[in-house]
Amino acid sequence: MNLPKPNSSYEPALVTRAGEVIPNAWQLLVDEDTTGAEGPYVLGFERALRDLDGLNGHYGVRVNPGDDVRLLEPFLDRITLIEVAFPGYRDGRGYSTARILREDLGYIGAIRAVGDVLRDQLFIMMRCGFDEFLVKDKDPAGAIAAASQRFSTTYQGAADSARPVWALRHGIGA
Amino acid sequence: MYVYDTFDHAFTRDRIREFSDQVARRLSGELTEDQFKPLRLMNGLYLQLHAYMLRIAVPYGVLSSRQMRKLAHIARTYDRDFGHFTTRQNLQFNWIRLADAPKILEELAEVEMHSLQTSGNCIRNTTTDQFAGAARDEHADPRPWAELIRQWSSNHPEFSFLPRKFKIAITGADRDRAAIRVHDIGLHIKPQGFDVYVGGGMGRTPSLGHCIRTGLPGEHLLSYLEAALRVYNRYGRRDNSFKARIKILVAALGPEEYKRQVEEEWARMDRARVDAPQAEIDRLKTFFPDPTFNTAAFDEAAFERARTADAAFARWIRNNTHPHKRDDHVSVTISLKPTGLPPGDASSAQMDLMADVADDYAYGELRVTHEQNIVLPHVAKNDLYALYTRLDAVNLSTANAGKITDMITCPGLDYCSLANARSIPLSQEISQRFEDANLTDRIGDLQIKISGCINACGHHHVGHIGILGVDKQGIEFYQILLGGRADEKAALGQITGKGLPAEAVPAAIERVVQLYLKLRTHDNERFIDTLERVGRDAFAEALHEPA
Amino acid sequence: MKLLTANRLHDGLTVWYSGAGWVEDGAQAAALADDVAETLLAEWKLRETEVVAPYLIPLTDRGAPVQREHVREFVRANGPTIGQTADALSKAFNRADIFEN
Ligand code: HEM
Ligand code: SF4
Repeated sequence: MNLPKPNSSYEPALVTRAGEVIPNAWQLLVDEDTTGAEGPYVLGFERALRDLDGLNGHYGVRVNPGDDVRLLEPFLDRITLIEVAFPGYRDGRGYSTARILREDLGYIGAIRAVGDVLRDQLFIMMRCGFDEFLVKDKDPAGAIAAASQRFSTTYQGAADSARPVWALRHGIGA
Repeated sequence: MYVYDTFDHAFTRDRIREFSDQVARRLSGELTEDQFKPLRLMNGLYLQLHAYMLRIAVPYGVLSSRQMRKLAHIARTYDRDFGHFTTRQNLQFNWIRLADAPKILEELAEVEMHSLQTSGNCIRNTTTDQFAGAARDEHADPRPWAELIRQWSSNHPEFSFLPRKFKIAITGADRDRAAIRVHDIGLHIKPQGFDVYVGGGMGRTPSLGHCIRTGLPGEHLLSYLEAALRVYNRYGRRDNSFKARIKILVAALGPEEYKRQVEEEWARMDRARVDAPQAEIDRLKTFFPDPTFNTAAFDEAAFERARTADAAFARWIRNNTHPHKRDDHVSVTISLKPTGLPPGDASSAQMDLMADVADDYAYGELRVTHEQNIVLPHVAKNDLYALYTRLDAVNLSTANAGKITDMITCPGLDYCSLANARSIPLSQEISQRFEDANLTDRIGDLQIKISGCINACGHHHVGHIGILGVDKQGIEFYQILLGGRADEKAALGQITGKGLPAEAVPAAIERVVQLYLKLRTHDNERFIDTLERVGRDAFAEALHEPA
Repeated sequence: MKLLTANRLHDGLTVWYSGAGWVEDGAQAAALADDVAETLLAEWKLRETEVVAPYLIPLTDRGAPVQREHVREFVRANGPTIGQTADALSKAFNRADIFEN
């Protein structure tokens, strides 16, 4: 039997918006773990809200779909990475999370998409402000390149620097 | 109508390339069916009982003659020579090969059409009044706004994976012909701005939209929609697809609380990023001018001669024309509900003919209505008889617009994989029972709407008489609802008694109609008015008990 | 006994398992013993570059789909019961409608 091998069966690789495959230096702390000597750490959302006030240094935070990312506002100066989780790729809450971080809260650290991250979502993720992707694909860099070149035209403003079509039509923000 | 510029063309081309690539990856197995399904749905491709179905967007129902000819060509070349016009003002083809889909999209792009976002959990085609730009009771043309929404919602990065589909309807007239209160968002353009209704819908949990804002300035329409969608995207339920529509969220929060959250989101938003500038709104408005009306004096004597000589023409004029803002023009409804054929179906030859008559008598413009008919929005009265004669030659002159045989009917179990029961054969039985033109005319305006399952694609909740197919151990049964309406006095019909087997339905409806004819105070009291005056009970009794 | 049916990936047409492979004519569907049917179904679920959404149709003693599925399977096997394509399949395959009752 000649069974197909879906792209999503490849091990996830971390790739940046520029198409560079990078190692993942961050470690997700499960709730009972203490912060040891080896960093850097990604804290669960609840734990981040509880502990970040007393912590110094720079942390990552994992945001799941139901979490209200605006609660992180007081701690953003201590956060350098936010992992937005996509437990299933049809769950689109993470797109709002990223745009709120970028456009409303002014967060400038890294936003990383993790979970069920596939080639076909990369373009809209980039538009919403993601800059790192733990993507399941046999050619992660190629997937980024394809997504970056996919659309020459964007109809609406979002978190990236692409100008909406109406701005191009009327010479706004050139 | 709207004409693509280089940006619109580039976008459509890019989107087709993306989908072609996805199709190729599905065929090679790189994409699983589970992963591919939402991607194909976002391009309008469903898998139905017999084959793939492709749903083509007719943005806000507006079609040019050239586009209609292209649809005819696609029906002939890639399908079985006919298409199905739907209540969403779109068109469906029923036997499309997956491998052909990219080619069809390229053909559509040649005439500035696409199938984007006609399905899937994204913002769907905005629907509107089929008489937009022509009706006498209109104070603002909804089409530029619908186009503004189309562009903003196309490939929207934040709202491509919503909890569930999202449908917006918009009207600018006094009479609501767009059913705005049974859409996720309904917009009513008033002189002082937009009234925004949220949380309407049909399906399993029918509800009427709540007005959460009046007087919204047009220049902030997009940012307000963006705020409304963001609250929905973040907090709409995702655990149960039957509870995922915005109506459920609005009901759970209460309209006041939902409104508060939207306004809060809107207040925080950098609106300049989202709202298109006035210059763009003005640009869009330039695409919807009046045609250069033919101002030859109306030859009333000739018209009256034709009307007197040809009773069928007289009847067609009475039933299938609608008042136009100019006295020497009318809007014409081409009924796709002849006795004996599925409601909404048109053959490629009929599509070609409709394109031809649009060129010859209607300034090249057509509309698809949510009642599954075609409208020619501007026709000079002088041309009516010639137009009628040509329509009549291809079985397109059925004079039943708005009448009991002008039923909205979903595809039902003849096509749809979700159906409980067939809809089309039942609509045919009813058509046959009311085939007598004099009887139909005597009954007057009466809307029957049929769905083959609780999803309510056939709008049964808002039919004056609604019919819902249910399944009892593999036997088709139909529940009858009474008293729904989708107009400016929108109301949901109520289920009456037990379901009936198919063969009992036409007679039951006839009893209801006979009771109405007996009870009405005068010929102009419509069925729905009598029903509301007398109450449902008497009618429910007539339905279920042979007189 | 059961029938195995699906839609073909590349054109979406309804197909039936004949014992030797997939055919478009439901009249040639093989009635399969329940355990054989289950094994085949599991296998074809994995081969989704060929067919999609395969499933089994339980049969009555008379070889027709059980009542619960009856109208749906009648329509799938014979095509829409109304309109331009009514009876198209029975003509194409030169047979009477199947699963009549
Ligand atoms: C044939 C394949 C079709 C399928 C599988 C399908 C599926 C569905 C489903 C699942 C719903 C319920 C959505 C919900 O409540 O969340 C729905 C609603 C609806 N569909 Fe369809 N549909 C089909 C065809 C059509 C057609 C042909 C029309 C137009 C004639 C249509 C128009 C609508 C409308 C107006 C609603 C109700 C309004 C709403 O709640 O959104 N659908 N459809
Ligand atoms: S109402 Fe039900 S049967 Fe009719 S088209 Fe919609 S999903 Fe199918």
